[in-house]
Amino acid sequence: MEVEQLEIRDYLAKCPPLTELPADYLNEVAQGLEIQYVRRGTDVLKAGGINHHSFLIRSGAMEVFLPNGELYGRFSEGEWVGYRSVMRDGKVSMDVKAIEDTLLYAVSGQMFLEMLERFERVRKYFTDGKPERLRRAIQEIRGADDGFAMITLHVRDLMKLPMLVGRNESIQQVARQMSEVNAQTAMVTEDDASLCGIVTDVDFRRRVVAEGLGVHLPIADIMTVNPLTLSSRDQASEALLLMARRNIRHVPVMDGKDVVGVISASDLLRSQSHNAVYLVGDIFAAAHVERLAELSKVLPKVMVGLVKNSLPASDIGQAITSIGQAIVRRMLALAEEKFGAPPVPYAFVAAGSLARREQTAHSDQDNGMILSDDYNEAEHGEYFRNLARYVSDGLNACGYVYCPGDVMATNDQWRQPLAVWRGYFETWINKPEAKALMYASIFFDLRCLHGDESLLTDLQEEILKKTKASTLFQAFMASNALSHRPPLGFFRGFVLDKEKDGSDEKGMDMKKRGVVPVIDLARVFALAGGLSPINTWERLDAIADEGVLLSQASVNDLRDAFEFISMVRLQHQAKQIEKGQSPNNYVPPEELSALERRHLKDAFEVIATTQTIMASRYQADRFR
Amino acid sequence: MWWRWFSPEAQKQRLLKKVEHPLARAYLETPFPDKKRNAWELDYLVLDFETTGLDASKDAILSMGYTEIRGGRVQMDGCIHRIIKLNIPLPPETVVIHKITDDRMNAGIHLHDALHELLERMTGKVVVVHFAHIESTFLHAAMERVYGQKLPLLMLDTLAIERRWRERTQQVIIPNQFRLGNLRNAYSLPRYGAHSALMDAIATAELFLAEMSYMQCEKDGIRLGDLLG
Repeated sequence: MEVEQLEIRDYLAKCPPLTELPADYLNEVAQGLEIQYVRRGTDVLKAGGINHHSFLIRSGAMEVFLPNGELYGRFSEGEWVGYRSVMRDGKVSMDVKAIEDTLLYAVSGQMFLEMLERFERVRKYFTDGKPERLRRAIQEIRGADDGFAMITLHVRDLMKLPMLVGRNESIQQVARQMSEVNAQTAMVTEDDASLCGIVTDVDFRRRVVAEGLGVHLPIADIMTVNPLTLSSRDQASEALLLMARRNIRHVPVMDGKDVVGVISASDLLRSQSHNAVYLVGDIFAAAHVERLAELSKVLPKVMVGLVKNSLPASDIGQAITSIGQAIVRRMLALAEEKFGAPPVPYAFVAAGSLARREQTAHSDQDNGMILSDDYNEAEHGEYFRNLARYVSDGLNACGYVYCPGDVMATNDQWRQPLAVWRGYFETWINKPEAKALMYASIFFDLRCLHGDESLLTDLQEEILKKTKASTLFQAFMASNALSHRPPLGFFRGFVLDKEKDGSDEKGMDMKKRGVVPVIDLARVFALAGGLSPINTWERLDAIADEGVLLSQASVNDLRDAFEFISMVRLQHQAKQIEKGQSPNNYVPPEELSALERRHLKDAFEVIATTQTIMASRYQADRFR
Repeated sequence: MWWRWFSPEAQKQRLLKKVEHPLARAYLETPFPDKKRNAWELDYLVLDFETTGLDASKDAILSMGYTEIRGGRVQMDGCIHRIIKLNIPLPPETVVIHKITDDRMNAGIHLHDALHELLERMTGKVVVVHFAHIESTFLHAAMERVYGQKLPLLMLDTLAIERRWRERTQQVIIPNQFRLGNLRNAYSLPRYGAHSALMDAIATAELFLAEMSYMQCEKDGIRLGDLLG
């Protein structure tokens, strides 16, 4: 029979990693397929048994259990079960049970193993350890050029609307029109609106004025005939290369035969990651809060540009943070202009993602002031109160809203002399109660943004010595860090958790479930090792260098997991911004490809494993 | 005893005296599987015909599709799909339903070749169909033409299995619920879009496995006789 004409074959062709197979081999797989029906509640595989088939779920769902009886995962349409045992001579180590009436496509062990041997990408799909799979996924997303998950920047995203003029219009008429709208180029068209040439500012200088040409001559006399064009679907990076090679600065953009835009080399250059640099320059030149608020509105667009340029999540965090911190610094400079120079030295410190240089968007403001010990309330109190109020209101106007937990310099508690801060930290470290731990997780990530930095650095050095020495404090921090656990993955449209059966959480909070657990892990290990970095990536590097807390391999895996989860989150937010929505952390499962969901499961497993390492190191569960 | 005269095996013995074609003789000489045997261990040939109408005395088989069940699994390597060459032009209304055009028909094979091939595959197996009336009457008509005799069939009907099951468990019977697609839906089987004799045979095979899986839960082990009703 013509297996290739059957729907069954079409279904196989859509399921990773069979998508990698050439058509004739896919036919062979379809030809050799066996179909099995399993009623809900039936065990398909039992640990200790023997299995010689890999199963692709066609409809229904299965649960897989770890040898200790814990749920490993729940799988549905398009996902594979049973292949691990096939690769281990048929020895089954995990129970597999149907939780719905299920139709399975069974691939014989022999065919499955042959497929692995012949096709490297299929082999990698099934055999790579989670870390390798994640690493490859990250590379693929970075290097993707066909829209695999990543939204690549295209010419149409950057082009400007073209100015169209007829070929018989006079040079002067065209020059006037260009001046009116401040256009640098005009597209010259035939009567049927097809493109025949382009004129730029330079042509008027070089071909008209310098040559003494009459301004009433038709524009066609000075245009560049049959110019090079780009398609609106071309990639921005390729367009830039082409223009550099041909040494041209303006190119008409075509959609088939129609001129739909014009793009300049500077449009393309500005789209590169330096966008943030321009914005920071403007921020430092801003004369008042209103201007800062206006500039701050550009931030989401900058973020989208960075994501589209496929930059690593850590770089995007740095770039977005550079904008956030520029706004704070400019705000403080404006405040000092208004209220005068500070009467005693102080350090304006940021906490949270701004301190860690991991912002992705406007965040809540978390900040405080460390004042010199020369401070005295009666004399200087009003100055710093005013300063804090001015900055906090200004930041709020810029989209960095007031902290709901009131962790801000406007709160008297967090605007104190160094000696008081020192006392705070001592209490938190020596008496790690619930509230203390909450503050600790905020205030152990501090960075000085303005003022006398030494006020903070001295304090931090003392703190790290204490945290490194206090295993009790570390254990409490570790146990606190376990309050955010990653999920097992997705099941259909829902988040799947180990403890909670049938979660109704639609969409996954990438921040709470993925990003925060890694930040917490890095913080605990950094404090335990007395390591000074605040940025999570740098903390992970330092942890690896220190060499005792976590193995180099574990750190590498954690980095990859963090990168992948951060990237999924950033892309989700970039898509929302592009659609005109305000970005959030909830990634709906339908936004992810089957492959991305699998990689996310891998990433969550890496985090869960590292949490287990931390938990056993501190026997942290004792404190829960 | 008198009933032995009507039993399929006795019938087969009598027919052996009349039938000459070696394939038909081999079919008759091979005993049907014992009714006491575990239904999960048997080999099945699941069959579907597309026909020009419902009357086997007037209408013709357009195509045959069949697949095998072995070891409780549908075997894709046992799939066959045959278009039958007709001597008459196709009635237009059947073209619409089956999407078999005159051109494709001409690429088909003759009925007796298709029947030989089918009979060889049926030998020693239990035949499974959905709504046995069509396949059994058309198969008998074809046998009569090709071998001169109607050969006895051991045929299971997924529709009849379902009807008996529902009557026994006193479930309400709703019109249309016994259509292949609706029954599949009731067993959470996926919806298949395109219809061909082979696709319907595979769909029937999956339904048959689902029915057995459900009956399995009520009693331990099913015998072939339980399915015959």
